[in-house]
Amino acid sequence: MTNSTPSASTLSAEDISVWFGERQVLSNVNLVFPANQVTALIGPSGCGKSTFLRTLNRMHELIPGAGLAGSVLLDGVDIYAPEVSPVDVRINIGMVFQKPNPFPTMSIRENILSGLKLSGRKTANADELVETSLRRASIWNEVKDRLNDQALSLSGGQQQRLCIARSLAMDPKVLLMDEPCSALDPGSTRRIEETIEELSESMTVVIVTHNMQQAQRVSHQTAFFLADENTPGGVVEFGSTEQVFNTPVDPRTNDYVNGHFG
Amino acid sequence: MSQTLSRPKVQPWSQSSVASVRPLILASVLPAVFAALVGLLANLDFSVALLVIFVPLQALAAGFVGFKTYGKRGLKDAVLIFVTIFFSMMVMVLLTSVLVSVAVAGFSAMSPQFLSQNNVYVSPTTSLEYGGVGHAILGTLLIVILTTIAAVPLGIAMAVFLTQSNAKHKGIVRTVTQALSGLPSVVSGLFILAIMGFVGIERSGLTGALALFPLMLPTVARVAEESLRLVPSDLRLAALALGAPNYKAFFQVILPAAKSGIITALLLGLARIIGETAPLILTINANNSTNLNPFAEGIATLPTYIYGFLSSGYSTSQARAWGAALVLLLLVALLFGAARIMTRQKSLKTKSTKKAK
Repeated sequence: MTNSTPSASTLSAEDISVWFGERQVLSNVNLVFPANQVTALIGPSGCGKSTFLRTLNRMHELIPGAGLAGSVLLDGVDIYAPEVSPVDVRINIGMVFQKPNPFPTMSIRENILSGLKLSGRKTANADELVETSLRRASIWNEVKDRLNDQALSLSGGQQQRLCIARSLAMDPKVLLMDEPCSALDPGSTRRIEETIEELSESMTVVIVTHNMQQAQRVSHQTAFFLADENTPGGVVEFGSTEQVFNTPVDPRTNDYVNGHFG
Repeated sequence: MSQTLSRPKVQPWSQSSVASVRPLILASVLPAVFAALVGLLANLDFSVALLVIFVPLQALAAGFVGFKTYGKRGLKDAVLIFVTIFFSMMVMVLLTSVLVSVAVAGFSAMSPQFLSQNNVYVSPTTSLEYGGVGHAILGTLLIVILTTIAAVPLGIAMAVFLTQSNAKHKGIVRTVTQALSGLPSVVSGLFILAIMGFVGIERSGLTGALALFPLMLPTVARVAEESLRLVPSDLRLAALALGAPNYKAFFQVILPAAKSGIITALLLGLARIIGETAPLILTINANNSTNLNPFAEGIATLPTYIYGFLSSGYSTSQARAWGAALVLLLLVALLFGAARIMTRQKSLKTKSTKKAK
């Protein structure tokens, strides 16, 4: 692997609609995630934010009965084009899940290197990659003396930062995060937020969050998703974070960001 | 700054005073004494005294003490605890007595020569100083290994199909597998015997292994399926999100996470076939000489050896049969012990590094 700074990419979703079986859950989502920007996806539970996030790195298609219309472009290339392999898409677009999911049979070090091994790539300097990745996820100091311990011996917050480090070791162009702090204490949350800020220097970040303050702290732009009862969800408002939170155009956005519903 | 205290010797929840212990002692000694006295005076059978007098009396006494201490809830607790302990001890006694009786009866036949020599020139009345089960140990291992080589990979493959694929007809496969796991072993033997007659194959270790295969396969498949089902789907998704192709996600993440369950599947499969007699009597020529080629000629296994010597009425041959039974038990214990050590290594490593901190 080269040590050149990873290049961020622009990701854009065009007319994304999603079905589970016959039920449509998302309708005509158009969003652009510019390079080196952090975008927060907010909205009440069940409005399709996480589902939308999964369409961005082709994890959505793993769910039985999943359906999709529209296209997702990574630097102008459709990731759903027939000649594009989902494996390559996921190498370039990393993902951090809501629940920490380190591999239980591997050590901390092996977890960091697992992405390379699983995607069939090699690295010249494994030790350096492990250290850089753990440093970028600000967990290096806590684990540097116990790299060969089982990953499950870490606390929940540490496990989540380990999972972030595992994604970073892949050197992705885009990082998708699905409520990465929802199960964590304030200290771990703060550290992950600092990490996100640093990451935006080298990659594009899309984060789903239920925490309004977090969205305001970490993101440059915000998309507000909403689904009325029995209708597919969609984007109500999309703009710079400052605009969405301070001068929302849609009254529903105003109600939501000020905690009046949801 | 908080202070470091030394750990108390008695935990708050296990404090006891003489007053609280006395009724407990009485309640656990009195029923036994009473049952023994009545049993002796009325000249009752031991099992009658135990089950008709001691068990109800002891349950009553335990219930009374529980009721005195904690009320109604304590009564139910105490009775349930007594019943659980008593019957698990009964089962322990039962199983231990099987082991002990095999060990005692088989001990007289045990000797280095019994383990190493084969059975050529041994008649039912030959002294125990000659001959042994060496050929049967080798035969058992050969046939079991042959069956395992075929059944374990296929069983795991079936489990993978049942847990990882989205195929439509999984239900049928699962039902057939479950039905097959109840297959009487003699039917499996007859089935292979019929095929042998039809195709025209001679008896050998291989035909024996073929007869054991339908018995081992469903056991391995079912247990492996259960253990793969227990691996959280998060892990598979995490692997796929890191750009893993399906086969790597399976071999490097899912299979290692299910390792101990898969080894249990292997062990239960072994346990199912290693003592089988009926299908082998039908499909192998249980001979007396050592045969290292499982693809031709006669071959003996420990169960067929036991069967052969037990059915002749002489005391020396019965001693040989018991000796072979003991060897079989030890062989199983050895295999299980080895497998358990293999699965435990990983968790031991975690513990030791934790302690080192």
